[in-house]
Amino acid sequence: MTAVSTAERRHGLGSRLAALARIVELGQGRLDPALVTDAAQLLLRAGDRLKLSSDHTVVALAGGTGSGKSSLFNAVSGLELSPIGVRRPTTARTHACVWGIDGAGPLLDWLQIQWRHRFARASALDKGESQLHGLILLDLPDHDSIRALTDHEAHRLIQTADLIVWVLDPQKYADASVHRRYVTELTGHDAVTVFVLNQSDRLTPEEQAECVADLEDLLRREGVADPRVVATSATTGKGVDSLKAVLAESVAARRAAYQRLEADLDRLVLRLVKDVPELLRVESTVDGARRAGLAEALCDAVGVSALGEALENVHAVRSADWVGWPYARWAARLRPDPLKSLRLGGVKDDIRGLVASSVTAQPAEVDNAVQALADGLTAGMPEVWRDGVREAARSRVDELPEALSEELAEVAPPLDRVPVWWWLLKIWQYLLVLMFVASLAWAGAILAYGVFKAGRPPAEVLGDVAVLPWVGLMMISVLGLGLFSAMASRNFVVLAAGKERDRLERDMRRRVGVLAQNMVVEPVERELNRYNEYFGAMAAARR
Amino acid sequence: MAQHPESPGEQTIAFRPIRDDEPAPELTSPHSGPGGRPSAGSAGFAVDATEAEPSHEDVPEAEDDPVRPAGPGRALQDAVAEETDGGPAAGDGEQDAPDADDSADAEGPADPSADPEDDPEGAEDADEHAEPAENPEHSTEHAEGTERAEHTERAEGTEHAADELDGDNPDGDELDGDRAGSFAMPEPVSAALTEALNQLRTAVKGLHFGLDVPGSDEARKAQAAVLAQLDDYVIPRVHMSTAPALIAVAGSTGAGKSTIVNSLAGGRVSATGVRRPTTSTPLIVCHPDNREWYARGDLLGGVERLAEPTRDATPDSVVLTSSPSLPRGIALLDTPDIDSVVEEHHEIAHRMLDAADLWVFVTTASRYADAPSWSLLRRAKERGARLVIVLSRVPPRSREVVVKHFGRMLHEYGLGEVERFVINETSVRDGRLPEIEIADLRMWLSALSVDDERRDAAVKATLNGVLNSFRTRLPALARHLETQVALRADLRSDVDAAYMGALARIDEATRDGSLLRGEVLARWQDFAGSGDLMRTLRLRRGGKGHSQGPERVRGLRAAVRAGLEALVNSAVQQATEEAVARWRQRAGAGDRLAATPGLGRPAEEIARRTTRTIAAWQDHVTELIRTEGVTKRSVAKLISFDVDSLSLIFMIGLLGYGATDAPAGAGAGALPQRLLRGLLGAESLRNISAKARSDLRARVGLLFDEETLRYVDVLDSAGIPDEAAATRLYQATYNLEVAR
Repeated sequence: MTAVSTAERRHGLGSRLAALARIVELGQGRLDPALVTDAAQLLLRAGDRLKLSSDHTVVALAGGTGSGKSSLFNAVSGLELSPIGVRRPTTARTHACVWGIDGAGPLLDWLQIQWRHRFARASALDKGESQLHGLILLDLPDHDSIRALTDHEAHRLIQTADLIVWVLDPQKYADASVHRRYVTELTGHDAVTVFVLNQSDRLTPEEQAECVADLEDLLRREGVADPRVVATSATTGKGVDSLKAVLAESVAARRAAYQRLEADLDRLVLRLVKDVPELLRVESTVDGARRAGLAEALCDAVGVSALGEALENVHAVRSADWVGWPYARWAARLRPDPLKSLRLGGVKDDIRGLVASSVTAQPAEVDNAVQALADGLTAGMPEVWRDGVREAARSRVDELPEALSEELAEVAPPLDRVPVWWWLLKIWQYLLVLMFVASLAWAGAILAYGVFKAGRPPAEVLGDVAVLPWVGLMMISVLGLGLFSAMASRNFVVLAAGKERDRLERDMRRRVGVLAQNMVVEPVERELNRYNEYFGAMAAARR
Repeated sequence: MAQHPESPGEQTIAFRPIRDDEPAPELTSPHSGPGGRPSAGSAGFAVDATEAEPSHEDVPEAEDDPVRPAGPGRALQDAVAEETDGGPAAGDGEQDAPDADDSADAEGPADPSADPEDDPEGAEDADEHAEPAENPEHSTEHAEGTERAEHTERAEGTEHAADELDGDNPDGDELDGDRAGSFAMPEPVSAALTEALNQLRTAVKGLHFGLDVPGSDEARKAQAAVLAQLDDYVIPRVHMSTAPALIAVAGSTGAGKSTIVNSLAGGRVSATGVRRPTTSTPLIVCHPDNREWYARGDLLGGVERLAEPTRDATPDSVVLTSSPSLPRGIALLDTPDIDSVVEEHHEIAHRMLDAADLWVFVTTASRYADAPSWSLLRRAKERGARLVIVLSRVPPRSREVVVKHFGRMLHEYGLGEVERFVINETSVRDGRLPEIEIADLRMWLSALSVDDERRDAAVKATLNGVLNSFRTRLPALARHLETQVALRADLRSDVDAAYMGALARIDEATRDGSLLRGEVLARWQDFAGSGDLMRTLRLRRGGKGHSQGPERVRGLRAAVRAGLEALVNSAVQQATEEAVARWRQRAGAGDRLAATPGLGRPAEEIARRTTRTIAAWQDHVTELIRTEGVTKRSVAKLISFDVDSLSLIFMIGLLGYGATDAPAGAGAGALPQRLLRGLLGAESLRNISAKARSDLRARVGLLFDEETLRYVDVLDSAGIPDEAAATRLYQATYNLEVAR
C-alpha cells in the first residue's frame, strides 16, 4: 500500500462507496440479484464501520476446531479469558478482548459480542503493551465443525472483522473448509489477512520449515500474492511475540478497517465487471439518422406517402364530378354500368363512404419500427442493458398507434372534401351549359322564324338569319370554353392536389417526428443516460 | 443381502469366507475326479476352484441342514449363491434355481464322504455360518454335463470367476490353470442376481442427465458412483464373497491414515509427512500371498495397478504392495483424504470406500467434530458399510475426556455400537507408530483374518448394506431423470406456448380488421376512390376487360404483403422474447439454455422467409380465385373481371373486414364482401374464405415451426433425457430386489 494519509484514503473510499451506491441503484433489475444484495450489504457494513471508532482495529482469530484459537487468544491477551479444552468444538461464542476501551463499546455492540464475553485490557500501558492500544481481539468459534453447520457467527464475523488471523495447525492447514470457503474468496485481502501456523511445537524445526513452505505455496496458488505466515505455539509461547508485532503494526496504522473495506470493494467491483463486462460508452442521445429512420418507419406504418398519393388521385378523380366538362359526364352516364346490371348499386355509396375514412397506424409496423431502433442502438451493449433499452423503447408502444392516428387525423383532410372554387367552376360550367342551351334556342328560333318563316318572330333578333352564323359561332365557342375551362381547372386541381399532398406529407412527417421523440426517443435516451451513468459509476468505483 | 437359512424356497445369498492361513484340507468331492482339487477345477466355473482352500468352510452345516453338507468343493461363486425361490416353482427362466436344488441333492450323498475329513475345522465353521450350507447346492459336483448346456452362455463369466479364485489361493497349488474350463459346472451365483445386476448396470449406464437443473451435478456424481461401485465392488463381490476382504482406511487429511497403515504393515509402504494432503494415490497393502489376487483386480477392476506411486498417476490407479506382516485374507487400502483442498482426493477416497468391505475411519482428537468427518460417517451409515473407528493422536492427558465425548457424540448419532480404537499421540518414527499403540488394531485385524465367520459377516453386511442403499440411491437417480424429462417437456411447451400465442395474435389481427390500417388502408382508398376498383369490372360487350391501373393494383398488393409481413415479424419477435423469458424463469437449465447466443432474437433469415411465405399465400389466393371463383352464371354473362384485382379485393375483404368492427367506418365494412358476394355468390365466397384463411394459418404455422426448431435444437444439444431409462432403472431396481 502506498503511503497515503488516512484522510485521503477515507475520501477515496467514500467516493468509491458513493459510486457503488449509485451502481446498486442503477443496476437494480439489471444485475444479478445476489450481486446487488451483496453490494447493498457491503454498503451497509461500510457505512456502519466507518461511523464507528476508527481508533480501534478489530482482529478476528479464525480457524478450524482444535487449531488453538482460544489458546492463542489467551496467549496474546496474557489472560485466561477464553476457555480452552480438549473437547471439540470448544468455543461456541465469540470472546473479545479490548486494548483501550474508550469508544469501543458501540463497535462491540455492532459486532454483536455479548457483554459477558467482553474483556478489556484498559490499563495495558503499564504492561508495556502500548503498541497494541486500539486492538479488539476476537476469538471466534470454529467454522468447520458440525456445530458450525447451524451456527453462522464465525462466518458473520469473518466477513466483518478488519483483520483476519487464520489460525491453522499442522494437521489442518490444508483443509478445504478454510481454503475453498474463505481463502480463495478473500483474494486481494493480503493486507488484512495473516496466517498463523499454530501448534508448531509439534513439529521439528525442519518439519516446520517444510510445513510453512508448503502452506505459503498453497496460498500463493490460491491467489494470495504475498502471504504473511507466522509460526506460533500457544503452549510454549514461541512466535506469539511475532504475531503481536504484526498485530501492533496494523493497529498502529489504524488502516485495517479501510483496507478491509477497500479489499471487499475491489472484489465486489471485480464481480460486477464480470457480470457486465463491456465498459462501452454509448452516445446518450439518439443521433439524427436514427431519429429520421424511426420517423420514416413510423410514417410508413401510417402510410403517409400512400395517403398523399391517394389524396392526389382521389381528388383528381373526384374533381371530374365538379370541374369536369358536364357533357362528358353525361355521356359517361349513358354507358351501361356493370354494377347496376348486377344490382350492386350500393357499392358506389360504399366507395364514397370509404374515402371519407380517416388515418390510422398499423400496430405491427409500429412495433417493428421501434424494435429496429432499439436493435440498432444497442448493438454491442451488454445483454441486460440491451433488454433495458428495448424495454424503454417499447414503454409506450401500445399507445403509439392510437396517438399517431389521433394526431394525424387532425391534419389529414377527408378525401371527399370539396374546395369552394370547385363550386365556382361548377357554376361556371353550368352557366356555359345554359349559354349553350340559350344559343341553341336562339339558333332554333332563327331557323324557325327566319328560314322557315314559321311566323312572325317575337323579336327582331330571333328572325334575323344573318345572325345565325354568329349564333353558331357562339355555340361552338361556349362549348369550347367549357371544354377549355374543364381542362384548365383539371390542371389546377392536379396542381392544387399536388401542393396539398406536399403540405400534408410535410405536416404529417413533422407530427410523426414529434410523437416519435416524445414517446420513443425520450425514454430510450433516459435509459442510455442511465447506462452511461452506470458505467461512470463503475469507473469511479474501480478507482 | 438377507442371510437366510437356505431353504430351497427362499432366496439366499451365501457368503463363503476363505481362510488362507490354514492349510486347506483336502476335500474330495465324490463326483469330482480323484482328489478334491481336480474336481474343483473341473467345474470349469470358478465354482470349485476355490473350495480347495476354503473348503473347510464348506463343511456341511450340521445345524442347518444336516442332510446337505456343504459340498466340499464349491466355488466362490457359490459364495453368493442365490436361489430364487421360484427355483422349482417360479422358474422364471432362471435355470440355476432348479439346478441348484438338484445339485444339492446330488451332493447329499456325496457329502458324508467328504465330511469326515473336514470335521475338525468344519465343525467350527459350521457353527459360525449357517449360510455355507447353501453352497453345497450349487456344488460343482452335480451333473456337470447337464448343466453345461444351460450355462454355456455364462461360461465366460464363470471363467472369470475361476480366475479370481485362483488368484486368491494362497497356496497356489490348486491353481492349475487347466482346471478352469475343463468342466462346465453350474454357475453358482444365481443367474437371476447376475442378470439383475447386469441389467441394473446397463440401466444406470444408460442414464443421461443433459440438463443442468439443480441437483443434476449431484445426480451425475451419484450415477458415476453407483456405476463405479457396481463395477469395482458389487458385481465382483457377488461372484466371490470368499475372496480376501478389502479394508479401507479413510479419514481427514493429517489424521494419520498412512501412519496407521505403515504401522500395521510393519514397513514404510505409504508415504507420510507434514505436508497436507500427503497421500494422493490410494494404496493396497496385502500379504504377499494375496498379492496376485489383488493384482488381477476383480475388485476395483477398472483401476490401474501401479507398483509405486508416481507423480502423474491418474485418478484411476492404485498402488499395490505387499507386506508379510499383514495377515492373509485381508488387505488394507490406504485412501486419500476426504477434506483437503485437493478436491479430487475426496472423489478418489469415496470411490475407494465404495469398493471396500470394511471401513476404518480414522479421526483425531482435534478433528473429531469436523463436519467432513461426520458426513463420511453419515455416508457409511447410508451405505450400510461395516465400520470401525480409530481415534488417533489423542493426547494421553486428555484421553479420557476426549474418548468419552467422542463416544457420546457417536452414540447420539446412532453409531454407539461401532467398534472403536484409540491411539495416543506419540512420536512417529519412520512413518510408524510404536507397536504398542496399534496392538489392539492388529489384534482385530488378525482376528478378522483368522475368524472366517466374523470376516464373512462383515463382508456380507457391507455388501448387503450396499445393495440396500441401492433401494434409495437408484430411485433417486430415476426421480432426477424424471425431473429432467419433465423439465424438458416444460421447456418444450414453453416454446410451443409462446409461438401458439403468436399465431393466435396473428389470427386475431387478421380478423379484427386491424390490418386495414396505415398504408394498406391508404392504398385501398386510393384503389377504390380513384375508380380502379370499378375499372376491374368490365362489361363483356364493353371490350378487352383489362384493368388500366396495374400500378395501383401493384401498390395495394405490396401494401397488403407488407402489412402481413409486419404482423408476422412482430409476432415472431414477441414470441422469441416470450420463449426466452419463459425459459429464464425455469431454474438452472432453462436459464443457461436461454443464454445461447442468438436465441433471444428471431433467426436472421426470418424476414426473408416471411416474405416468401406471404408472397406464396398471395399467389395461392389468386389461384383459388382463378380456379374456384367461378362467377355466377348470370354475372359471367355480363361481366368479366381481372383475377389479380379481384383476389386483392378478396384479401382486403378477408383480412381487413374480418369482423364486425371495421375501423374504416360502418359503411366500408361491407364493400368488398358485397361486391364479391355479388360476383361469386355467397356460398362460393364462404368456401374460398375458409380455404384462404386456413392456408394462411398453415403457412405461418410452418414458418413458426421452423423457428421453434431452433429451440428444440438447443434443447437437444443439451442431451435428450430418455423417459424409458427411468422406467428401466425402476424395473432393474425391482428385479434386483427380487433376485436377492
